[in-house]
Amino acid sequence: MTRSGMLRDAVIAIVALAVLVAIPFVFTKPSLRDFLIYVMAYGLLAMSLNLLVGLTGLVSFGHAAFFVSGAYMFGLLMQSGNVSIPVAMLITVAGTAMLALVIGAICVRLKEIYFSFITLAFQMFIHSIILTWVSLTGGDQGLRGGIPRPPFLGIDLGNSVALYIFCACVFMICIVVMRQIWQSPFGYTLRLIRDNPNRANYLGVDIIRMKLGIFVIAGAMASVAGMLLALFVSGAYPEFGFWTTSGEAIFMIMLGSSQLFIGPIIGAILLRLLEHFVSIYTEYHGLVLGLVILAIVLGLRRGVADFVVEWIERRKAARAPATTEHTACAKEGAL
Amino acid sequence: MTKTTKGISRRRVLKGAGAVAGLAVFGTPHIAGAQAKVIKIALPTILSGRVAILGTSSRSAVQLAFNQLNDAGGINGRKFEVVDRDSKGRPDEAAKVTRDLVNNDGCEIVIDGEASSGSFAVHEVVRDLGILCLHTCSETSSLTADPKQFGKNVFRCARQGIHDAVAGGSYAAKIAKEKGLKKWATCSPDYAYGRDNTAEFLQYAKVFEPSIEVVDQLWPKLFAPDYTESITKLLQVKPQAVYSALWGGDLVAFIEQSNLYRLFANTAYFSGGLGDPPILSAIKNLPVGLNTAYRYNKTFPNSPENTAFNDAYVKVAPNEPTNWAWQNYAAAQFIIEALRRTNASTDSSVLAKEIAGMTVKQPFGGSGITMRESDHTIINYPVAWGKTQSKAPWVTDYVDTEWSKILEFEKQWKKEKGYA
Repeated sequence: MTRSGMLRDAVIAIVALAVLVAIPFVFTKPSLRDFLIYVMAYGLLAMSLNLLVGLTGLVSFGHAAFFVSGAYMFGLLMQSGNVSIPVAMLITVAGTAMLALVIGAICVRLKEIYFSFITLAFQMFIHSIILTWVSLTGGDQGLRGGIPRPPFLGIDLGNSVALYIFCACVFMICIVVMRQIWQSPFGYTLRLIRDNPNRANYLGVDIIRMKLGIFVIAGAMASVAGMLLALFVSGAYPEFGFWTTSGEAIFMIMLGSSQLFIGPIIGAILLRLLEHFVSIYTEYHGLVLGLVILAIVLGLRRGVADFVVEWIERRKAARAPATTEHTACAKEGAL
Repeated sequence: MTKTTKGISRRRVLKGAGAVAGLAVFGTPHIAGAQAKVIKIALPTILSGRVAILGTSSRSAVQLAFNQLNDAGGINGRKFEVVDRDSKGRPDEAAKVTRDLVNNDGCEIVIDGEASSGSFAVHEVVRDLGILCLHTCSETSSLTADPKQFGKNVFRCARQGIHDAVAGGSYAAKIAKEKGLKKWATCSPDYAYGRDNTAEFLQYAKVFEPSIEVVDQLWPKLFAPDYTESITKLLQVKPQAVYSALWGGDLVAFIEQSNLYRLFANTAYFSGGLGDPPILSAIKNLPVGLNTAYRYNKTFPNSPENTAFNDAYVKVAPNEPTNWAWQNYAAAQFIIEALRRTNASTDSSVLAKEIAGMTVKQPFGGSGITMRESDHTIINYPVAWGKTQSKAPWVTDYVDTEWSKILEFEKQWKKEKGYA
């Protein structure tokens, strides 16, 4: 990534964070903050999964294993009362990265559907542990008693505005980290592995090591998403680690875009907005969502964000034919 | 070539559309919240999926109660509206929709129709928001028995595990003594509720009849479609009695498949979840003489109030009342009585003070159901057990258990668990 590219990303991140932070002061209704925290948690899960799906070509069906691990590790640490929130977050990220390292060391040796299914198997294994280790996890009732939010560095997350701003900051830090990976030589090596693993192998790339590296990073990022949701709902539940949660993250990627960096977050916003409004009016939301997604898949044949970007590019090309080639080349690195 | 547009530019139109959309998305709730005359009651519950009957019957009961109140003129000129929302059985969604119902839809009271883990998620939200809440479907005792869970504005209007275990154990022990049923087996769903419920039932059955011996315990998967393996195992082991914590569609499948193997010909059957009329009527050939806990019955008690409730309910709901229906209706009656006493105040702490220790005469029997002040949970609700018959009203010969007995054992149980 060039220095100017990094600078541009940093400026965009700061502006985006400023907008996010300003929202509760402009729209004071708490429901909007709640909605955004929810979208940030699930958006982060989808974006971390896209490091595997979109960037590396590894379709993981078990990514929620790290999401649930983050929620439970963080919740248990906070309930122990021995650590502050930032320390608990760091320990959780490190712990989940270790878990991802162990699981990834086995999974990344497999390809395609076999990789997908072994990740699913590990997720269901972790889900079963949560259900059966009742004394620690609360079993199917979840981690009861709430997650304490003791103030740290003068920040009180018991205040809903402070909680929102904290979530926005953590979310944006994770986005910046993932963006750097997306645009780094490591990211381009992963694209090479995705597109032509044999060629990468001939060029001397240690494919297993590279895949393991991104698997661990994606797992660690998913754990942050799990922590945000645990903080929001003040609990951790086995449903966070059920296969449907991984399925939803894949859905978000499909709905947004797997090739555009911010595609999954767009998918998360769309899916959550759809769910939010459809469930207000009918309990047959599954049917309505299914029809909408069917229309998108059959009608657009790609993610909504992909469609919008292509449409904008076509418009630009129509206006300035001379610059068409330049804009087409820029798509891979687009935000 | 440049394209010029006369009048309003496209960019301005898009900006305007964005602003209108923004207002539509996040602005309309302000308008809804400003309609001060109507008091909104939030009902987060499960309205889709395999256990949707929990939510749909809860919704019908709450709507019935508040419609009856509105038809009678409301309280102090104020009317009531029930706003329900589907949580899809997901705890995080339950937490989100509850916050949304309060913060966005302007609901001032919450009736939590969530099951199991969803109710714990809602519990944290309502403790956080300080709003009045009555849990109406969770049977997990620790929700109110554990002092760590206590919330001054939070109550439970639902049966709970420990009360059921004492009542069920006492009833089963009496039958076991009379008929000499010593060899028992269990067949319950393999998850925390199934295991805890079964363990507690056996614990108290053995307390009341120590000769009971458990010869086998089977744990089919929750929502399993096929129980052949469990049924054939039971036929091999030949227990004299079987206890099961199966419920809903699982229980219907188990009984219908057991009928094929004539399991109940020589084996007594005890179930905590069979007594719901929609479940009983869904079984094609309901065997006679199965023992079940009271869930709801239009003839027990055989009183005009219960008949009136049943008749009013079936007019607005697609099914007969369920266990969740009476619990939600009873919760609504507690809220309505508190609102009456406070002239429709919506101050949560004022309403909570009224509800704590309140006894309300309900159509479901006895001298009234009491919201115990010490742990904000109901007592003196129906805990009877009866026997099935092949036609409506499906269950007869109800035998009640003395509440004094239940409370005595509950006290001991709380001490054992470190809750007292």
